[in-house]
Amino acid sequence: MKKILVFILLVALIIPALSYAKRTPRYKAVEVTNGGTIKGTIKSENRVDDPVIPIRVKPKGDPEETRLEEDTCGSSQQAMMYVLSPDNEVKNALVIVEGITHGRAAPKKDITINNLRCRFEPLVSIAYVKSYYIIRNSDPLLHNTWLGKVLNAGARRTIFNLALPYRDQVIKKPNRVAGLINVRCDIHPWMRAYVYSSRHPYAAITDAGGNFEIRDIPPGTYKIRVWHEGFEDIIKEVKVKPDSTSDFRAVFTNTRRPFFMK
Amino acid sequence: MKKIIKGNIFIIFALSLMVLAFAIESPARDDDAEYAAMIESGRKVYEVRCLLCHGENGDGNGLAGIIRRAERNGRILEIYPRDLAMGVFRFRTTPTGCLPVDQDIIDIISNGVPRSFMPSYKHLPREDIKAVREYIKTFSFRWEEEEPCEPISVNRPVWAGNPDSVRKGRKIYKEMKCGECHGYTGKGDGPKSNDLKDDQGKQILPFNFTTGNLKRGSSPENVYITFTTGLDGTGMPSYEDSLNEEDRWHLVSYTLQLMKKGE
Repeated sequence: MKKILVFILLVALIIPALSYAKRTPRYKAVEVTNGGTIKGTIKSENRVDDPVIPIRVKPKGDPEETRLEEDTCGSSQQAMMYVLSPDNEVKNALVIVEGITHGRAAPKKDITINNLRCRFEPLVSIAYVKSYYIIRNSDPLLHNTWLGKVLNAGARRTIFNLALPYRDQVIKKPNRVAGLINVRCDIHPWMRAYVYSSRHPYAAITDAGGNFEIRDIPPGTYKIRVWHEGFEDIIKEVKVKPDSTSDFRAVFTNTRRPFFMK
Repeated sequence: MKKIIKGNIFIIFALSLMVLAFAIESPARDDDAEYAAMIESGRKVYEVRCLLCHGENGDGNGLAGIIRRAERNGRILEIYPRDLAMGVFRFRTTPTGCLPVDQDIIDIISNGVPRSFMPSYKHLPREDIKAVREYIKTFSFRWEEEEPCEPISVNRPVWAGNPDSVRKGRKIYKEMKCGECHGYTGKGDGPKSNDLKDDQGKQILPFNFTTGNLKRGSSPENVYITFTTGLDGTGMPSYEDSLNEEDRWHLVSYTLQLMKKGE
């Protein structure tokens, strides 16, 4: 009889619980007291030359404006895509803990994307959902700053598209969309940047030595994605133990053509 | 009686919880049933009216395919059905990056899109238009993931279109560098006009003000909302944060004159 009662009770409680579950967020912020760390290095198997991007300014109605654009943008730019150390450690790789359901709250931290000498600064950054994008134009030219979410099929979906016709213009926009974001200027097609917009704090960018560190991760086994604009993704599993550091090393083997070169 | 209650206290408690659970759930189930019926009705309308161009999955890969049309300036414009599965909507009254409000979708279905082969379905019953709107939303996860945005209010000033406003608008057109895409005389032939691509990586052309009507409609209000929201998925950015409301109306005055729709 008791078993039947327990069963009825469970059914009665599960129905509203299921209804509630539909509305719960995909990531839950909790206190992490015994979190572990993932620390490591990302390398390239081969030496890869960093390409030079040629820039050709199309004549404008006013020759003065053409000259201003040529002076600001230059005639070529180093892509800064393959920035490798002497030992082939890779700068600007994104290391992302994927599918994490709970952990520390994402920080409230706005990020600035600057249009500077016809490139975006920084090239790679991490933003947090519910914080803000600060878009700045430091050039005396019209730039438009377009952010698009990279979809599975490689297409990109507009997140917003802003006109910045003045130097020192600043626009603040709320960050509503999670995922890998490509930044582009339609007027200067070589300009590009990448943002990983996250609901959680568990993502990092490699430094000039290819190093990264992600702390306070709740113990468990996670899928780690390593993304770089010029290399094919690497996905590896890693086990995080309480109050200890897991070593993570990955080597890029295949290059790929980034969006701005397609 | 007390004994009966005491003996079956667990059962009474469990049953009470069940009743409470179903009481919470039942309105939702009614809504669910109503919603499912609407989606089914929308699917039927979609299959008859929309599927040929927009495709079974809303990805724009219907049998109709791409339509090529020559522009007056000799350039070839490729027109292809909208990929509804991407969840990008050009014609909204909401800020750049936001989903459209329900009325925006109803307007597109009802009015059609001039110069794009999207016909007007004004003649359809209102309930059918609403149902197909809801069915279209099932193609993209954006409708489940994102919070709705408030539409931008449009208040046309009495001076919009007067000669002084046109003169100010001409200056703003130059300062905003609209000519870089739309051409210095508004013919869509600016120095960047051949470099523009849409969200699917396909080439698109900036609007030639001298040739025809804006796709979303050419009333002063429609032109104003186009500058303000931008056209997401195209190269047209939003000027909501770059120009104040008054200057946007001056720009409307000037571009309406370019379209020969000024006062």
